[in-house]
Amino acid sequence: MANLKLRDIKKSYGKTEVIHGLDLEVLDGEFCVLVGPSGCGKSTLLRMIAGLEAITEGSILINDERVNDVSAAKRGLAMVFQSYALYPHMTVRQNLAFGLENLKLDKDDIEQRINKAANQLRMEDYLKRRPGQLSGGQRQRVAIGRAIVREPSIYLFDEPLSNLDAELRVATRVELKALHARLGNTMIYVTHDQVEAMTMADKIVVMHDGIIEQTGSPLDLYNKPANLFVAGFIGSPKMNFLDCSSLPEEIKKLSPKGATTFGIRPEHLRIQDENTLSLQVKTVEQLGSDSYLYGETIDKQEISIKLNSQTTIKGGESVKVGFSQSDTHWFNEKGASL
Amino acid sequence: MTDVIKFFTRRQGKKKASLTDWISYGFLFLGFLIIFLPVLWLVMNSVKSQFLLQKYDTNFLPMDYERIARATTYGPDGKDILIMKDLEPWVMFWKNLSDDERAEKDVVNYIKNFSGNEYYALRSHFGLVSVMAKDLILSQNLPDWLIKYPSMFPSAKKEYDPQAIVDSLVDEDARLLSEYLGLKPYKPNGFTAQILVSMMDPQTGELVEYSVSRINPTKDTVNARLVSNPKGGITKLPQNEIIINKNLKPSWINYTDPLTKKALKSFDAVRCLNNSVFVTIVATLITLLINSMAAFALSKYRFNGQVIFFVIILATLMVPASVLIVGIFKMVTMTGLSGSLWGVIIPGAATPTGVFMLRQYMLTIPDELLEAARMDAASEWTIYWRIIFPLALPAIAVLGILSIIWRWNDLILPMIAVSTTKAAYTIQLCLLDFNGEYLAREHYALAMTVVSLVPTTLVFVFLQKYITTGIASTGMK
Repeated sequence: MANLKLRDIKKSYGKTEVIHGLDLEVLDGEFCVLVGPSGCGKSTLLRMIAGLEAITEGSILINDERVNDVSAAKRGLAMVFQSYALYPHMTVRQNLAFGLENLKLDKDDIEQRINKAANQLRMEDYLKRRPGQLSGGQRQRVAIGRAIVREPSIYLFDEPLSNLDAELRVATRVELKALHARLGNTMIYVTHDQVEAMTMADKIVVMHDGIIEQTGSPLDLYNKPANLFVAGFIGSPKMNFLDCSSLPEEIKKLSPKGATTFGIRPEHLRIQDENTLSLQVKTVEQLGSDSYLYGETIDKQEISIKLNSQTTIKGGESVKVGFSQSDTHWFNEKGASL
Repeated sequence: MTDVIKFFTRRQGKKKASLTDWISYGFLFLGFLIIFLPVLWLVMNSVKSQFLLQKYDTNFLPMDYERIARATTYGPDGKDILIMKDLEPWVMFWKNLSDDERAEKDVVNYIKNFSGNEYYALRSHFGLVSVMAKDLILSQNLPDWLIKYPSMFPSAKKEYDPQAIVDSLVDEDARLLSEYLGLKPYKPNGFTAQILVSMMDPQTGELVEYSVSRINPTKDTVNARLVSNPKGGITKLPQNEIIINKNLKPSWINYTDPLTKKALKSFDAVRCLNNSVFVTIVATLITLLINSMAAFALSKYRFNGQVIFFVIILATLMVPASVLIVGIFKMVTMTGLSGSLWGVIIPGAATPTGVFMLRQYMLTIPDELLEAARMDAASEWTIYWRIIFPLALPAIAVLGILSIIWRWNDLILPMIAVSTTKAAYTIQLCLLDFNGEYLAREHYALAMTVVSLVPTTLVFVFLQKYITTGIASTGMK
C-alpha cells in the first residue's frame, strides 16, 4: 500500500524538454490513469516513476520518501509492459518466479505465490508453456501475473491492452478493474484510449505536450472539462466546437462574456426547433441502438450528432438540431473553460 | 531416419519432380560434392600404404599393386638383375620397419631358404653383410683392421692388402668379405620393390609379366622389365594395354602406428590430442564469456566512448593476423606464458569478429526485456546471465563452433607460444613432426590429419542441433 507524489518533475533529452514540471498526487489504493495522445510524455512519466528513466529535475516520493536515486529494483514497484516483455526462453512458471528468485525468497514462498496468482488469473493450465506458445490474451495474463506475484506497493501499466483485439480488450478491462477492487493496491495505468481511461479510472490525468491539462474523476472531466483540449479528448465522438462568431443570435446570447468557442457534445444534440443550428447531413452511421449523423453548418464547420435511436434521416438532408442550455460548454480565446 | 528420407524427397508440391526440383537437388548435390570430395579424398589416401603414396598413386580406393622385388647383384660374372616374386610384405618393406619390428624377424634363417644371387641380394637387403662379415673376421681370427677398412680414407686403404686375405678364404667366405670390404668386382647390391603388371603379347596372345618401378598416368608409356628375362633391358609398354593387378588393401598401420607411439618416438598422439582439447575447450569458454560480455555492454548500455570502442574493435578486424605475430610473440614471452598452454589460450581469447557478431545479435533483443528484468529486481549480472546469454544462444553457438574450429586448426599461435616445449605441442604442431628433413612419412601425416578432423566434425554435429533449438526458442512477439 502506498501513495505517490510527483513534485515539479521535468525530463529533458539533451536540450529538448519533454516534460515541463509536473505535480501529481496519487492516493493510496487509487486507480490513476494517465491519458493523452501519443508523444505527450505519459509513458516517459511512467518510466520515471518505475525508475527506468532518469529524472532531470524534481522529485518522486513514494510513501513520502524521495526515491529519485533508488534503483528500479528497489522501489518495490511492478510494471506490465505494452509488449508484455515476457522472457521468451523461460516457461510461464519461470517467468513468474524470476523476480521472486532475485529477491531471494525461499522456494516454498515462491511456489505459493505463483500458485495463488495462477489461480487468480486462471492460468494453471499453461504454467509449463513458453510465451511463444501462448495466445495474446494468455501472455497478457502472464504479464499481469508477473506483477502480482511480486506483491508490489504500486502497479504500473504501460498500455497493456493495446495489443489485444477489441473483444478481449473489453473483457480484460473489466478483469483489471475487478483485480484492482480485489487487491486494493495503488495502480497507475497509461493509455491513449480515453474509453479505457473513463471506464477504469478513479482518477484521470489528461496529459498533453508534457504538461497535465486536467486531473479529476472521469465524470468531472466529462462534465467540466477545464479546457478545449480535455473537452475534445474526453468523449467519443469528440465534442463539437463552433466559432462563437458564426453562431445564430439565438445561441450567441447564451454565451458568457469573453467566450470565443462554443462546445456541445454530440450526444447532447437533438433534432428540435429550439436553440437550433441548421446543418447539412453528409453521412449517417446506423449502429442499431444509436445513430451518428455527420454534417456541416452553413459556414462549413463540422458537426456530429449522436441519436439514441434509429433514424430515417439520410445523407444530403438538412436538419435542425437543438440542445439544452445546461449541456453547453464555453471557452475563451486561450482555450480555458468559462 | 524417416524424417531424413522425407527431407530429401521434398518436392515443389506436384506429384512428379519438376524441373525446379531436379535443378535444386542437382545444385545441392554439386555443392555437397565440392565440399565433401576433398575430405573424402583425404580419408581414402590416409589408408594408403607408404609405398602407394610414394608412387603418387591416384586411385580413389587404397588398391595395392601386386608387388615384386627387383634386385641387382654384383659378382665375378658381372652385374646380375633378378626379379623375385612372392616375397612376404615385410621383406619388401624391410627398410621401413622399426628396429623393434626388425628384431622380431629371424632373417638369418629366413635367407637360408634362398640360394645364389637371390641369397646375396637378400643378405644385403637385410643388412646382414656387415654382421656376418664381422662374425667371420672374429671367428677366423683375421686382422682387426679389416673391420675398419670399409670406412677408411682411400689413402689409408693403400697401406693394407685385403685381397690377399680374401684369397686365402674359401669361396663363400671370400665373397662375404669382399662384399663387406667393397672389393672389385663386388659393389653394394640393390633391392627395390616394384609393381607387377602384365600385358598380352601381340604375337602369341599370351600374358607376359613385367616389372615396373612407377606408373605415371600422365604418360603414354611405362618403363618395364620382363620378369622372365630381367636382364633383357627396359622396354616401353603402352600405358593403355597393360593390365595392373590390384587388391583392396587398406593400410591400417597408418593409424595404429602413430596412435601406439610406434611411428615416431616424439609423436604421442594422446598427449597432442589432450593439449589440443584443453586449449580448444578452455579458450572457447573464455572467448564466449568475454565476447558476450563485451557485446552486451556495447549493445545494451549507453556510455561515453561507446562508439569509439566499437570502432576500435572493428578496426582490429582489418589488421592481418600475420602482422601481429611478432607482437604476440613478445607479449607471450614477456608475460612468461611462453611454453605454457595459456600462452596459446589467452592471446586469442578476444576476437573482434565474435564481439561484432554477438553485438549485432544482441541488438535484436528488445530493451523492454531488460527493463522488465530490472523491474524484477535483477542485478546487471543476472540480466546478462539469465536473460541476455540464453537469448543470444543461437549466436553464441555459432561463435562457439567457429571458435572451436579456429582453435583446433590453429597452427600459428601454438608455434609462437609453445614451439620450444614439446610437452605442450598441440595436434597441429605434432603433425609437423612427420615432415622430417630426410624421411617422408606422409602416410602417418595423412592418417593423423584425419584423426585431428574427427573432434571438430563431432562438435559441429552436436552443436548444430543447438543452433536450431536456439532459434526456435526465440518466441518473441
